[in-house]
Amino acid sequence: MAEESSLTDDFLGQLISVGEVDLLVGVPTHNNSKTIGPIVETIQAGLLTFFPRERAAIINADGGSRDGTPGLVVSAAIGDVQRSSKMYALRTLHSISTQYASGPARGTALRTILAAAELLRAKACAVVSPESTQITTDSLAALLRPVYADTFDLVLPTYRRHRFDGVLLTNLLYPMTRALYGLRIREPYALEFAFSGRLGSQFLAQNAWQEEPARTGSEIQFTLAAIAGGYRICQTFLGTREHVERHSADLVPAMRQTVGALFSSLEPNFTLWNTKNGSEPIPTAGVEQEFTLEPLRINRKRLREMFSTGVAELESVFRAILAPSTLAELQQIAGLDEARFRYSAELWVKTVYEFAAAYHKSVISRDHIIQALAPLFRGRAFTFLMENRNGSAGNVENNVENLCLEFERMKPYLLEIWNGRE
Amino acid sequence: MPLEQDVLWYKRAIIYQVHVRAFCDSNGDGIGDFPGLNQKLDYLVDLGINTIWLMPFFPSPLRDDGYDIADYNSVHSSYGTLNDFREFMDSAHKRQIRVIIEMVLNHTSDQHPWFQQSRSSQENPRRDWYVWSDTDTRYHEAGINFVDTEMSNWAWDPVSKSYYWHRFFSHQPDLNYDNAAVREEVWNVMKFWLELGVDGFRLDAVPYLVEREGTNCENLPETHAVLKELRRKLDEQFPGKMLLAEANQWPAALRPYFADGNEFHMAFHFPLMPRMFMGVKLEDRKPITEILQQTPEIPPSCQWCLFLRNHDELTLEMLTKIERDYMNDSYAQDKAMRLNLGIRRRLAPLLDNDRRRIELMNGMLMSLPGTPNIYYGDEIGMGDNINLGDRNGVRTPMQWSGGWNGGFSTADPEKLYSPLIQDPVYGSPAVNVLSQKKTQHSLLNWMERLIAVRKTTAAFGSGSIEFLYPANHRILAYVRRLGEETILVVNNLSSAAQAVELDLRRYKGNILIEMFGKNIFPRVGELPYLLTLGPYYFYWFRLRKI
Repeated sequence: MAEESSLTDDFLGQLISVGEVDLLVGVPTHNNSKTIGPIVETIQAGLLTFFPRERAAIINADGGSRDGTPGLVVSAAIGDVQRSSKMYALRTLHSISTQYASGPARGTALRTILAAAELLRAKACAVVSPESTQITTDSLAALLRPVYADTFDLVLPTYRRHRFDGVLLTNLLYPMTRALYGLRIREPYALEFAFSGRLGSQFLAQNAWQEEPARTGSEIQFTLAAIAGGYRICQTFLGTREHVERHSADLVPAMRQTVGALFSSLEPNFTLWNTKNGSEPIPTAGVEQEFTLEPLRINRKRLREMFSTGVAELESVFRAILAPSTLAELQQIAGLDEARFRYSAELWVKTVYEFAAAYHKSVISRDHIIQALAPLFRGRAFTFLMENRNGSAGNVENNVENLCLEFERMKPYLLEIWNGRE
Repeated sequence: MPLEQDVLWYKRAIIYQVHVRAFCDSNGDGIGDFPGLNQKLDYLVDLGINTIWLMPFFPSPLRDDGYDIADYNSVHSSYGTLNDFREFMDSAHKRQIRVIIEMVLNHTSDQHPWFQQSRSSQENPRRDWYVWSDTDTRYHEAGINFVDTEMSNWAWDPVSKSYYWHRFFSHQPDLNYDNAAVREEVWNVMKFWLELGVDGFRLDAVPYLVEREGTNCENLPETHAVLKELRRKLDEQFPGKMLLAEANQWPAALRPYFADGNEFHMAFHFPLMPRMFMGVKLEDRKPITEILQQTPEIPPSCQWCLFLRNHDELTLEMLTKIERDYMNDSYAQDKAMRLNLGIRRRLAPLLDNDRRRIELMNGMLMSLPGTPNIYYGDEIGMGDNINLGDRNGVRTPMQWSGGWNGGFSTADPEKLYSPLIQDPVYGSPAVNVLSQKKTQHSLLNWMERLIAVRKTTAAFGSGSIEFLYPANHRILAYVRRLGEETILVVNNLSSAAQAVELDLRRYKGNILIEMFGKNIFPRVGELPYLLTLGPYYFYWFRLRKI
């Protein structure tokens, strides 16, 4: 049973008014006033268009916005949606908002949404990112339908991305998750996904919500819980995912949330991944991945410099994490000029696996391990950009696929060092 | 109060709609008749209704259940004689029951002498009493009402070799209201029945009286002029009598039928009815509150007439496509249940014979603004027979007992005008007046009680309405007020128990008295007033400041 006590009395009162629903769309927010209004209106329009007979609610879990975000969610007027689109709502469509107790944390937001879904006995739920300005009514339907109208328990997105958008995803999260768990899930760390009520309830009951990875990396934990539980998973194409400019300082927090969560998942799921070989595709509606090729300004020089500086400054840290031969190879390429620099797929996979093993053994603070991986990732990102700067979309996809195969090929190495060398 | 002194009687009316031929057969010919109806008046007194609406009982070839009238000034021989009618009227009035009769003005039967003369030659003086044309292309913007049977509103008459106009079945030619002689003769017909004592008319299909090129031939100003003229004559010559409009239109289009209080006294609220069913199925008040918000104010002397079911199909015309599809999928999964743009089923089967839903729907019928209309047999939960054609499945004999022919007739069953409902759930052995009279908690006894409670306050018939909008959308709550009297109605449209908090601060200090059990509920304070309601439950509270 969920810990409903985490919900405020006011929120509980709102849920009582909503009552049982067929569909629930959760929107975690924190200071998203610039984008949230149109997104909620699109959700409303999607529900009216594609699920006009279903009982539905939009639940906003807010992390303490100071820019009026919750008010915008609640006041996003369905009447405006109806007038502008000539849609007709058979039913009352509720949009309600709650502010959870702790500061902004996606895990806590997800927990709130899961608790609401369980109390409302939602059959199908979707989580929509407050930054998903590309969301359409069709994409909302594409997320919800496989759960509501079919028998899938988890629907993950695939996108049309810029070839250099989501490099952490294409070079670490996707290939490593695929190699470990044997499923070709393109977006294991999805900010938009849909799930069945039963999967949501199980995750809500099982997850250790007080632990840091659960609070910060709950989305990937959710995916892994679905894999571990043998739930039916599929992917659905949601169209173009806008490239979001990120400051370089954003990388470490992003890695904590994603790579940290992935690494921390390895211990509890060891019996799940240690016997898997190779990988299998999962049912996918629409294309599995598309890359766009338009020009994008990236400061490649700075990437390589941050790699070289990191290798030099963090040598003592790396000695605790990496095999001597790996460190030596990194030091060797750190000295190469831009033209000759290449962080090979094999070396990158070896690096990542050694970091994962070190994380498992807690050779140093786990947070420091994740931080230390950041400059190395920048080096790998530099190589990825260089290798694909003139390539077609097909070439980029081939390179990603080859990297995945490298992760799969070297998986025995991870198993070897998992409990082996100190 | 003597009947003749109560000019706003229709606001306090509780109407019982009955077809003479379906109610009680006194002479064993298998067809109900006026003496039979007369015998059953005390049953209606016990039920608590105070007005009877008689469906057409005039001579007719009965190709549309009497809505195809062949003689306006007589009684169909199967139902009795004019004397029988007079006796029935006397008996009803002695029991303080008023009688309104059906008047089909828009069209006659093609067997009516007027039409026979009209078609006989182009020169006949009555030729212009109907709408004739050399082509079938005029008024092409007018819709077809009976889409399942009619392809056009024009029919070829092989006798006079021209087309005649009919908005309903092709055997029902429309009268030509542009002809002053027609208007005068129609008034003479009404006067004939008024002199026999009828208290009002339910005027059938009134939007279609006049045709004009370039329009959909509905609700035209010329039609309203005809109706106003009839009303003027009625008020002048028969004050206190009432006109009730059958106009299946949107609220805004219905409003002109009240005019300035000088056209119709009452009109059926067609768009509300399907939305009540939709609200219960959706478990959401939205359809109901939405349509009532769109319902315009009407003059103080006018009144809406509300109904759950009647002799026709549950019409879905006043719904959007998405709503119509939902209703069909929800209430008429078997396509045989569908007819034209509607669902030909009775109340109890529509609601899966769920007593709680039947009670809730009747509770809303009796408490929403308007005069309620009960269709015969629905007070005992009669079923229907979708295997009978057209709308005959909801016009089967009244079930008085579990015995021979359900107590309706002593005739051989083969002679009945219609077979009785015979299925094990709704057949007369299971559903009949006699056994329900004997069972304290039967639907019939509950209906009697409901009507009795309704009659304890004039607020339901004449009061204002103010909707409350609690956050729980499954709760339909409203306040009815008239003078010092305030009634709070709370309906749970859901199949599950619900909690609701009502903002009753403006009634702070009042105590709530539940109107059925007369129990006292807590006093209203500053805080939201919390109520819990079981599945499909409803409360009527009288607010008292004691």
